[in-house]
Amino acid sequence: MILKLNHLKVKAAATTQRVIEAVYALVEEDLMDQGQFARLQVELDWIQYKSNFREAVTATQGYKAFGQPAPIMDVHIDTRQVVLETLHDDLLRALSRAKSGSEESSRLPLEEFQSLRSSIVWTFNRFFWRHLLAWEAATGKSYDKALPGGSSDGHNPLAVADDVAEFLDLLCALQARNQLPAEVNVLEIGVGSGSRCAQWLDLFHQLDHERGTGLYSRVCFYLGDYSLDTLNKAKPSVAKHIDQCRFIQLDAINPIKSLGYLRHKILQVHLTNVYDNLPDEEVVRRDGKLYFVQVRAYVPNAAVSSIGGKYGIPPELFRDRVYHMLESGFDSFGGPEHGVSFWQELWAAVRLEERLVQLEDLPEFPFPEGLDAGKLEDILQDAPTDFRFHLSSGALESFIRTLPLLHPSGYMQVFDIFVTDMAQYRTGFFGPGKLDGSLLNWVNGALLKEVAQREGYNVNFRPFKYRANTHTSILYTTRRE
Amino acid sequence: MPMTLPILPTAIVGSYAMPGWLERLKTDYFARRISRHDLDEIYDAAVKAAVKDQESAGIDIITDGELRRDNMVDYFAERLPGVQIDRSSKKFYYDFYDSAVVSKLPMASMGLVQDFNFLHTYTEHAAKFCVTGPHCLTKRIRNQFYPNEEAFALDIARVMNLELKALVRAGAKFIQIDEPYYSGFPEDLAWGVNVINTLVEGVDAKISVHICYGNRYGKPSWEGSYRYLFPTILKAKVHQLTLEFARRGGEDLDLFKEFNAPFDLGLGVIDVKNTDIETPDMVAEHIRKALDVLPAERIQILTDCGCFHLPRDVTFAKMKAMVEGTKIVRKELGK
Repeated sequence: MILKLNHLKVKAAATTQRVIEAVYALVEEDLMDQGQFARLQVELDWIQYKSNFREAVTATQGYKAFGQPAPIMDVHIDTRQVVLETLHDDLLRALSRAKSGSEESSRLPLEEFQSLRSSIVWTFNRFFWRHLLAWEAATGKSYDKALPGGSSDGHNPLAVADDVAEFLDLLCALQARNQLPAEVNVLEIGVGSGSRCAQWLDLFHQLDHERGTGLYSRVCFYLGDYSLDTLNKAKPSVAKHIDQCRFIQLDAINPIKSLGYLRHKILQVHLTNVYDNLPDEEVVRRDGKLYFVQVRAYVPNAAVSSIGGKYGIPPELFRDRVYHMLESGFDSFGGPEHGVSFWQELWAAVRLEERLVQLEDLPEFPFPEGLDAGKLEDILQDAPTDFRFHLSSGALESFIRTLPLLHPSGYMQVFDIFVTDMAQYRTGFFGPGKLDGSLLNWVNGALLKEVAQREGYNVNFRPFKYRANTHTSILYTTRRE
Repeated sequence: MPMTLPILPTAIVGSYAMPGWLERLKTDYFARRISRHDLDEIYDAAVKAAVKDQESAGIDIITDGELRRDNMVDYFAERLPGVQIDRSSKKFYYDFYDSAVVSKLPMASMGLVQDFNFLHTYTEHAAKFCVTGPHCLTKRIRNQFYPNEEAFALDIARVMNLELKALVRAGAKFIQIDEPYYSGFPEDLAWGVNVINTLVEGVDAKISVHICYGNRYGKPSWEGSYRYLFPTILKAKVHQLTLEFARRGGEDLDLFKEFNAPFDLGLGVIDVKNTDIETPDMVAEHIRKALDVLPAERIQILTDCGCFHLPRDVTFAKMKAMVEGTKIVRKELGK
């Protein structure tokens, strides 16, 4: 058995001995054979997100591409949730469930096993953004307040000021070489309330005036968001600068589709906390083979009973009501108040079970744009031999489909939670987790960097120095020679 | 196929689409998974395919597609006598080597003729051989010997001049010099033109200079206007300027008229930084605009730059569109 301890938290360390005892007990009680014991990999982790999709003890079975079990069995123990008194039984239950692969009577599956990217949990995520106001009204606090630090890092005044100064320096350097375009195009994707844009333009206007550079009137600030409502709501924030602003409805996963006419023309692209909320999928490398992580969302029967009982939904209709809510909103609950309450309890109860499916035909795998089997194998040459990592499919596609917009001298900056080195995946769990009603994942920045390098861009990560103890870092990209 | 060229002859600027499989094999070579011998055989096959594709598309002047080259610098840096190369400095084949000149460049062969001969063997069409210009090479090879870039570039030009003459003796009629870094360093242009003149002195071929805004990774390196070239470029003793117009629009065409430029024009009508395929009508429209400035006899129809970063099927479709669009205009001209 391989025992992996990720975070060296005191509680995790205290759990270790009990885990070993519990596993040995299963062997002694003939509930686990030597073969299974030998290939077991038990991972003890401190799950960063209090709210997540895992039980305290989960076991994941590996499968070959056509369904035969592979000799892989991973056990994950969330040292934050685990109850030591029930560890033995929890472990036995998890192993039996994973090994048998049979339908679990204590769970109500919401879907079939599939890629995380296409899981219903992302439908929940979209639903959250569509009904954000209702959620906020129910909780009495804005989404920003749920963020670490209580506000978006993108709005940090010092960060904005530094960026404006750096950007104006760049413009002046280009102007000195007679290479400054007539229009100075800036793009922000995911604009929220528009307050960062307003801050940025305020500061740019002020600094431009102080330096006498006279460039403010040449700025075209594109505010890009998938939601027209959001764009409309952002307008009052930037009212002072409305002549400099352009409002563009776009899909964060494919910005160039809406902005193709700005190819090679944008001098700065900015995103804050967009990538961590884009659909993702995960891959595991184990014993020299790659496995794709398939997931299935479910609700524990206990939660089905309690939530169903409270809202008058019989168990046999529970799944239909979930889908109905996600498609049609809260009508069937007699109004948003009741509906939001159901939604919040349901979301808190939703879990993901997992299985690993061997990637036997890697070249035919539907990789996100920018990545293929050859590139992945090349990138993994310098990565740990046994580890689990995000493909960050949505983030990667968004990134690759934004980079062509960059002017040759332009730069792109992304404020987000990045894994900046593949080896970092050995040190802990990086999602998915829940933040209010949304889903978030750390972003595989190391993968983005490698892919972007092959596309002709330099990527580096700067610490977000404007807030103490933050996980946020800044991905900074420029064209490379 | 006769060597006589039609009016408005067509060509690609230099490189053909680099197939994904060839990229992987190049990387395999650097990882010591295949031998140099195997790689050379693979190159031969890839060049033959690139030549055949150009011929099938109806292109008039054929190149070898530059598929043996990792990028526009290293192929020459490796062959320039006296340039030292750190062969461990490259992670991907397309990266530039860390290379440096540490002593005066000796006058010696670079061995380019062998690659031209191969091309010449496999096509009966007119053939063009492309070389990266000294100005560009001085921007990528670290100068640890010469007092300045100009002196370094002049010595490169002297060495390469011998090579160009050897190419002519081997039958090269069209030689193209690629100088994309002019656009990034316009302040170098005056000495850059002197270097070009040293490079082409006594070279009896139709010489063109290709000046674009960069195509590294299929992206522009700079933006701006070709106005910076004038009037300095008028001193260049070359026959043709090959410029990109498809991506950037045709505004700068008027510079030829304004400065009464004595050069023929290599007219870029295909955007190589975009996979959208032009229609023949779009190509024809570009050509008609150029005909307002120059007579057809002084115009060649080209891609904006090399097709290295485009997928092969896209490149082929773009070449077809270029050929068909040119035919439309030839017909309008009654040629």
